[in-house]
Formats: sequence, structure tokens, C-alpha cells
Amino acid sequence: MLSAGLILFLAALQGVTELFPVSSLGHAVVVPRLIGLNFNETSPAFVPVLALLHLGTAAALLFLYRRDWARIITGFFRAAARGRIDDPDQRLAIMLVVGTVPTGIIGFLLQDPLKSLFGDPRAASIFLIVNGGILFAAEMFRRRDEKRRRLDGAPVLAHEEDDPAYQPIEGLSLRTALIVGFFQAGALLPGISRSGITMAAGLVAGLRHEEAARFAFLLATPIILAAGLLEVPNLGADAPTFGVGIAAAALAGIVAYASARFLLRYLRLGRLDPFAYYCAALGAAGLVFIH
Amino acid sequence: MRGSRPLALALLVLAVVFAIMAIFYFTQKTNFLASGRPALHWKHAIVFTVLTLLAVVAANFARPKSISA
Repeated sequence: MLSAGLILFLAALQGVTELFPVSSLGHAVVVPRLIGLNFNETSPAFVPVLALLHLGTAAALLFLYRRDWARIITGFFRAAARGRIDDPDQRLAIMLVVGTVPTGIIGFLLQDPLKSLFGDPRAASIFLIVNGGILFAAEMFRRRDEKRRRLDGAPVLAHEEDDPAYQPIEGLSLRTALIVGFFQAGALLPGISRSGITMAAGLVAGLRHEEAARFAFLLATPIILAAGLLEVPNLGADAPTFGVGIAAAALAGIVAYASARFLLRYLRLGRLDPFAYYCAALGAAGLVFIH
Repeated sequence: MRGSRPLALALLVLAVVFAIMAIFYFTQKTNFLASGRPALHWKHAIVFTVLTLLAVVAANFARPKSISA
């Protein structure tokens, strides 16, 4: 059984890293080993405890985008009943379904082999470096695109939101949403960030940075919520006490909410490169110091 | 979208298959497509129920629509 202190530490770590493009799962596997907290990541309680923390994160995302979700859910039922898409809310709802199904199916089919990777911090370290590479590559692709556009005579705009070449989520096609959904399945590996890989895919698809983050957060919510709801009953005899469980989920949620607000504000002007360097550094540290 | 009757039918057949799988997992102790000893795999049942509903929705999207619809 995991101690209350360790669970609360994992909750804070999960809250910060779940929505930043740096892989919460990779952090949960690598960071405790790096700082000398010895516990068994293959313990039957580890994944259900992480799933419990995910419920807190999912609640934070639902609260953050509560108005969007009200429109998305209504839009889904309208589109499903009519069998056609009539407005942007319905389109966004169907895009989220199309983008969620691949990860859901792949995660469900591969859950056992994937869980075995959770006990391998060196594998997670390698995937963290890969995650850094993905973020860096996406930003490099975006910079090249911006440079090409400037050479073609497009005006230089200080604020990406003003640039009509980069679009909001509603401008994506359903096919692109499906491709982004397949990319999201990569985040089932500890070290590959769900929000990072979907933001990277969104940038390559032509979304603005802030919109790529919004799409990543909306796309992540059903998966995080479903993983939490399906996995928490497996806590069994190893479950933390009710008070610790609630406190941990609440802590994860509050920290996740603050992280998401910070990230959305940062991405109005900032880029993903700092997160890329951070992931590469953490992964390298894991490979060097964890034996 | 013009729609495709064969695709809609295929999706409905898929929905029926998923529904049978969901009922199977809700009612039978098994380890088919699951690890461990035979047991009631309610997670599998829920996943197949969701897939059934999604296949029905997809079939509704795929069916040909009348022009006035």
C-alpha cells in the first residue's frame, strides 16, 4: 500500500504534469526514483491510485471548459439523432468522438503490456526524450511554415491570434481529428505526453498554439475521465483511506486547474520549446542516474 | 454528405456484434480477450456497450438522407 505522503506527492506531481506537455505518467515513474523515493511502480495499487488522481484532473478540465462541454454534449446528441452536422458545436462534438475512439480502443486492448512498462523507469526516460523530440519537431515545423509565409509576403504579426493562416479547432477536418486521435494513443507509453503529442499534432495541422492546447485538453478529458472511472474500482484492499483519496484527487484537480490556466496564458505568445528541453533533460537524467 | 446504404448496414451489423459481446461480458464468466482467470469482465462489457452506441450513431451518419431532411 502506498503511504499518504507519497500519494499526496504523486497528486501534486500529477496535477502539474498532466496538462503540461511533459507526461504525468513519465514523471510518476521517473521522478520518485530520481529523488530517492523507493516504491514499487508495479504494485497493484499504483495504477488505480494514478487513476484516482486522474479523476481530479478530469474534474478540473470539466470545470475549466464547463460552457464548452455543455455545448459539446448538446451538440453530440443533436448530431447523433439527426445523423448530420449542422453547426460548429456539433462538429466539435463529433471531432472529439472521432479523436477519442482510437486511443480508447488501443488503450483498452494493450492495457496489460503497457502496465508492465510502468515498472521500467529507464524506458520512461527514453520516452521522455522522445517526447521532447516530438515537441521540438512540431515547433520547428511551425517556424519553417511561418518563415515560408513571410517569404511569400505574408505580414509579420506579433500575435498569432491575429494571423488568419492559423485556425481555431472548428477549422479542422474530421480526418485530421482522427489522425490526432491516433497520435494521442502514443501517450499510453509512460514518458509520452498526451497533451504534448496532441498539441504537436494540432500545430502541424495548422492550429494556433492556444487552440492546439484547447483541443488537447478537450480531447484528453473523456479519456482521463474514463480511465479514472474504469480503474478506480481496482483499488481493492490497497486503497488509500477515503480522506486521503479525496484529498489527493482534490489536490491533483486544483493544481491541474492552475496549470491549465497558466499554460493557456503562456501559449498566447510562448512556444513548446522550453518543455521540449525540459523533457529531454529529465529523460537524460533518468538514464544517467537510475540503474 | 450523400450517404451510403451498404456502409450504414455494415455499421449496424458491427453494432449488433458489439451488443452481443457486451451481453456476453455482462453475463458470462470468461477470460476471452481478457487476462487472468475466468471472471465477469464488466469493463469489457462497458467498453462494448459504448462501441455499440457509437456504431449505431455512425450508421445513422452513414445512411442516405432524403433531400428535405
